[in-house]
Amino acid sequence: MIEFKNLSLVYPNGNEGLKNINIKINEGEFVVIVGLSGAGKSTFIRSVNRLVTPTDGELIVDGEDILTHNGKSLRELRKKVGMIFQSYNLVKRSTVLKNVIAGRLGYTGTFRSIFNMYPKEDMELAYENLKRVNIENKLYSRADELSGGQQQRVSIARVLTQKPKVILADEPVASLDPPTSHQVMKYLKQINQEDNITTIVNLHFIDMAMEYADRIIGMRAGEVVYDGPASEVTEKTFEEIYGRTIREDDIRGGEVNE
Amino acid sequence: MNKTDEFIPTSLYPAKTKRTISIAFIVVIGFYLVSSITTESFIINFFLKLGNITDLVGRFFPPDWGYVNNVWPKLFETIHMAIIATTIAVIISVPFCLLAAHNITTNKWLYNSMRMILNIIRTIPDIILAVVFVGLFGIGVFSGIIALIIFAVGILVKLMSEIIEAIDMHPSEAIRASGGNTIQTIWYAVVPQILPQFISFSLYVFEINIRASVVLGLVGAGGVGQLINKEINFLNYPAVSTIVLIIFAVVVVIDWISGKLREGLV
Repeated sequence: MIEFKNLSLVYPNGNEGLKNINIKINEGEFVVIVGLSGAGKSTFIRSVNRLVTPTDGELIVDGEDILTHNGKSLRELRKKVGMIFQSYNLVKRSTVLKNVIAGRLGYTGTFRSIFNMYPKEDMELAYENLKRVNIENKLYSRADELSGGQQQRVSIARVLTQKPKVILADEPVASLDPPTSHQVMKYLKQINQEDNITTIVNLHFIDMAMEYADRIIGMRAGEVVYDGPASEVTEKTFEEIYGRTIREDDIRGGEVNE
Repeated sequence: MNKTDEFIPTSLYPAKTKRTISIAFIVVIGFYLVSSITTESFIINFFLKLGNITDLVGRFFPPDWGYVNNVWPKLFETIHMAIIATTIAVIISVPFCLLAAHNITTNKWLYNSMRMILNIIRTIPDIILAVVFVGLFGIGVFSGIIALIIFAVGILVKLMSEIIEAIDMHPSEAIRASGGNTIQTIWYAVVPQILPQFISFSLYVFEINIRASVVLGLVGAGGVGQLINKEINFLNYPAVSTIVLIIFAVVVVIDWISGKLREGLV
């Protein structure tokens, strides 16, 4: 369970990233955060694994207030909270397998990781996760040889390999075409359901949010302006969240044909 | 309205720019003349004393080919010096490269002091380093090696820290986000991005070291330069030209091999 209590974040330049957020996210939920760019979605998500540090309030993850974490305890938190990025963030010159095994770094000593001395179970886990996203045949390809969709699947495999309790996804489909976007969202949804991993995804496409989310949180200017089950959300709700009428580029479209 | 319509610009530049350029030009010429007069060196002397040059060059020919066998031991000494100095410099430079890159060393104080130390090191010419170490450790190879190491570290760290500053930081964000510590983040997200350039620059520094170690011999820091110095003092010019030709050939071959290796890397 993740709980935001009166959480605020002010950046050093004075910008308010988050304004007094109070939200409770339950275990196993698939939450989609929507809002225009600059609404604070990214700050919201990055607070949960402390890539940014909120300046006020409390943020409870797995029973602990994570705002005081540093060094070792921060790395322990990040082992539990995996993250997927808009630009995949793979090491392009490394092989797919090396990128995926990087998910085990938090569990592996510095010396062992430098000399690639991973236990057999870790290698097996990495390979199983590549199979889950159907990319196991690219095992030894360099990451930059893969297409965008394939790279994002590798990054999902990397996140699974760290055996997280929570997955954060920051605009995971913003760089992909519509069919590939649906494919990636389907993998995330499937993992959420099969492994009961709490998943928080930032999106700005309203059709995808409605299709995949259990619950939608709307943000504008650092504040939560909507919070409710995806089934109750309509285009009208989005117009209220965005503060303007819905445009063509708010919709991804193109359902995958499988 | 009509008056402005009749205006036709007479110059491509505004009068103020022209004035600035003219003044700058006069100042530069003035500095040149003052420097020439006070040092009594006029470039025209080059042509007036052309006779001396041809006379001296004439004494270098023909090269003394019988001298060739005396060159090899010292030449290999030079190459060994370059190999030892480059290897050690490459190892030493690794931590300094990271400390001198602002995206890895986020501590401003540490980064700035690191940069300052490196700038100071780079202002010292290799020949001065050699003179200092010959004074400290005596004439010979060892002094030359130490001078080359410091010289090479200065170059390598400068080149590599700039490469490190230009890398894509997204992968290291991902490694940190999955619980990796600092060393793991560097090893998994930084090293793969910079390794080809690092090897390439190391070979490049090896080329520079070969050439530098020839010069260092002139001040007694070992290698083939020492041999040149000795033969010049004995006015044995044919032997000197043999040495110079052999060095030329060897440097060209080494540069070519190293260049080919570097081409294959990046």
